[in-house]
Amino acid sequence: MTERIEKLRAFLRGGGHHRFRRTPEELGLDGLSARFAAECLPDVERSARMLEALLAAEQPVILEGERIVATRTISRIPSVFTDAEWAEIKAAHTLHERGTVSNISADYEGILRDGLGARRAQIATRLEDPGLDEDGRRFLKAADDCITALQGFIARYEDCARANGLDEVAEVLRVIRSEAPQTLHQALQLLRMVHFTLWESDCYHNTLGRFDQYIYPFYEADLRAGRLDRDGAADLITEFFLTCNKDSDLYVGMQQGDNGQSIVLAGRDADGRYLFNEVSRICLEASYDLNLIDPKINLRVDKDTPLDVFEQGARLTKRGLGFPQYDNDDVVVPGLISLGYAPEDARNYVVAACWEFIIPKNGMEIPNIDALSFAGIVSEAMGHLPDFPDYDALWAWVDGRIKAECRRIASAHDRLYIVPAPFMSVLMGGCIERARDISLGGVYNNYGVHGTGLSTAADSLAAVRKNVYEDKSIGAEELCAALADDFKTRPDLYEKLRFDGPKMGLDDDAVDAVGTALLDSFAEGLKGLRNERGGIWRAGTGTAMYYIFHAKDLPATPDGRHAGEVIPANFTPSMFLRQRGPVSVMRSFSKQHLQDAINGGPLTIELDDSILRNDESVSKLAELIRFFVRRGGHQLQLNTLDKETLLDAKAHPELHRNLIVRVWGWSGYFVELDECYQDHIINRIKYKL
Amino acid sequence: MSKGLLFSIEEFALNDGPGIRTTVFLKGCPLRCAWCHNPEGWLPEPQLMRKKERTETCGFEMEASDLAARLLRDRDLFAQSGGGVTFTGGEPLMQGPFLLETMALLQDVHTAVETCGHAPEPLFRQVAEAAGLILFDIKLADPGLHRRWTGVDNVLILRNLAALKACGTPFVARVPLIPGVNDSVENMRATASLLEDAPSLQRVELLRYHKTAGAKYPMLGLDYRPGFDTEALPQVHDCFTEKGMKLLIL
Repeated sequence: MTERIEKLRAFLRGGGHHRFRRTPEELGLDGLSARFAAECLPDVERSARMLEALLAAEQPVILEGERIVATRTISRIPSVFTDAEWAEIKAAHTLHERGTVSNISADYEGILRDGLGARRAQIATRLEDPGLDEDGRRFLKAADDCITALQGFIARYEDCARANGLDEVAEVLRVIRSEAPQTLHQALQLLRMVHFTLWESDCYHNTLGRFDQYIYPFYEADLRAGRLDRDGAADLITEFFLTCNKDSDLYVGMQQGDNGQSIVLAGRDADGRYLFNEVSRICLEASYDLNLIDPKINLRVDKDTPLDVFEQGARLTKRGLGFPQYDNDDVVVPGLISLGYAPEDARNYVVAACWEFIIPKNGMEIPNIDALSFAGIVSEAMGHLPDFPDYDALWAWVDGRIKAECRRIASAHDRLYIVPAPFMSVLMGGCIERARDISLGGVYNNYGVHGTGLSTAADSLAAVRKNVYEDKSIGAEELCAALADDFKTRPDLYEKLRFDGPKMGLDDDAVDAVGTALLDSFAEGLKGLRNERGGIWRAGTGTAMYYIFHAKDLPATPDGRHAGEVIPANFTPSMFLRQRGPVSVMRSFSKQHLQDAINGGPLTIELDDSILRNDESVSKLAELIRFFVRRGGHQLQLNTLDKETLLDAKAHPELHRNLIVRVWGWSGYFVELDECYQDHIINRIKYKL
Repeated sequence: MSKGLLFSIEEFALNDGPGIRTTVFLKGCPLRCAWCHNPEGWLPEPQLMRKKERTETCGFEMEASDLAARLLRDRDLFAQSGGGVTFTGGEPLMQGPFLLETMALLQDVHTAVETCGHAPEPLFRQVAEAAGLILFDIKLADPGLHRRWTGVDNVLILRNLAALKACGTPFVARVPLIPGVNDSVENMRATASLLEDAPSLQRVELLRYHKTAGAKYPMLGLDYRPGFDTEALPQVHDCFTEKGMKLLIL
């Protein structure tokens, strides 16, 4: 990291730029929605008018040392509708989360190739079509107004830069206001402006897509022309990463830090070339150096990815930021193709805010629209347990119920309304051609459904099969009664089921196969169903926050889980698994037909970072990740233990039962240790001893 | 077919030899090192451990063939990463026949054995010849201090070390760094002298004492009163690289 970046980082971390922020009320922007309502302004025009007003109210701020500019000075983005209007919309429609466009990936490659002026020209040509309907004309004008507003914003920054004697910055801004960028500096500045404006237009979870792929041509051109060397390029890319952390406290997500600024590196192209380039490498280094939570890095890998790439990733894992997340092309690409995506789109996949696989430019997908509760369905089946003569009968009921739930979900999301996003539309494939806002749909309009409590459900079914139907050591009614009173009168059953019951994560083929059957049922259940936008439904292994909602009212389950007790997040083993270690966990969680349940949702493994002290260990971790990928795992997230996790584990042991701490030659479950030893470990992690 | 008594099998062990390894902990140890962090490895019989949520039996029997089958499940990972299996404990040589039988069943998988060296010489030679790597613990060079801190003197240990140097099996010397016990420059110098003229020595590993060591004592109904200042930081003296040995501090 150069001294310039270090200074800038320190300044931003200190929040020195917050003093430029004003509320919409202070700027007189809070009455806009009422004015729009009074004028009976159509929604798409409101979005454009709001963006114009906001960009005009932004005060250009260039921080000391900055070469890539744009700082948000408006603290909150007002809605284009009044509260009363929202009430009417909600009465007539369903909304997804906040109701604005989110969690998709813009065509950054295209806008960096063509520039803003080319988009305006394209719109102008399209407007000449006499066959355009009124909606189309209105949309195109709104889209053009958004670009014009951004150009005006860039011009004001250019003036500000010139007034401050920053000729290099001013010149970059002059070029990108209308022309296509030619240099890395220009490309990153235009990307910053565009990304800034997406947030300003009230879109959220604005992902950054395949950054290394669309930035590389500029890097290469600069190096070839001798305009820049690798260090100079790294300096600029690091600064761009820093800008992702500048206004991020203002970026609304569903929770703090959940702002969806993910980037995706590498991947394999149609000719079989692995696309890890020098910019990919610089990105991993920049993220390591900055040690900040944005952008969140995904690394596309496959069975032939060189070990060196895994090592670069493992080194970043050691940083403890919870990324990179690894996405396995060998599973994801064929999975997307079999869902109906064009091969070139499938190969171009990126990752949405968390884990969902989406298609940049062409996807207006909602990969997190609902969730199916595997654990809830299995729990419901327990109410009928005495009626099932054998395990096959129990399974048939569960299978039928999963499919019925899939049908219910597929019919529960009609009349969806999304606030128009004319600026985002400028950056999405086909919107200008179709003269339709992206909020009304893109090339792909698929919906994704999470699946919660998979391991809870699999462990429970396996426990019933073993104890009730095979060993006959527990009677069906006996188990039902124990579950109904939350094991209060049967602590023996609780112990047996919780600690000695079959669990996914031990490389036990029998229980792992139950997990496979559950996921297969889910994928089959959604197959062939269509949503109201003509898209398909995708099954996935993620949970988002649904795992909390689904656990709250869930009665005790046959895996020895108490009523209301947590269920694991994402594609992970039970909280009461007596782990053998990450190898068995990886084996258990790579046996399923993950290609068929490819909405996304990682296996998450927590590591004690003290085991990653030296380079040898980092290489070994790289080998472990490669092993998972070669086994056919689809997605992997590695977290390292931090002080906060351990403090939380101390306070809430029930949430961290399988948290293992390791020191050379020694390992133990953290929650089982006496307080003084817990404190030793907390201090050890805290001080990186 | 012999049975062994184990107290743990740990996957993805990173500090017990090359590549990704599974480490098998065999129960029973002839030493009583004051700083021992695995006291559940001392007794050659199962015992109860009282943990917060429930009391568990520590120690389980396994047939050599079952253990080998279980370990061989990961041979693909071992092959991919240049790893293998490491036996430790306790003192694995306390269960010599079981150890040798299991190692033989592991076929082409790389094996490592961590030992304190306090074992009958013929058995030690047999294990050293069968293993791909020996992790040889050297606690203290001085026999009197060795007896004071571990319960036995090091005469047999040094004899086996000499045998190890002669037999040519690659080995790593592991020295725990215990504050005020063995971290003096004199002891490190003496340890380095013991390791001279050993072409098969791969490297020396200094293992820093960690305060977590006492954590399992209360679970076994034992007091942890090791007799040295557990709050002190151990000194690190490198008397090894000057003699051309590789050093790794963990």
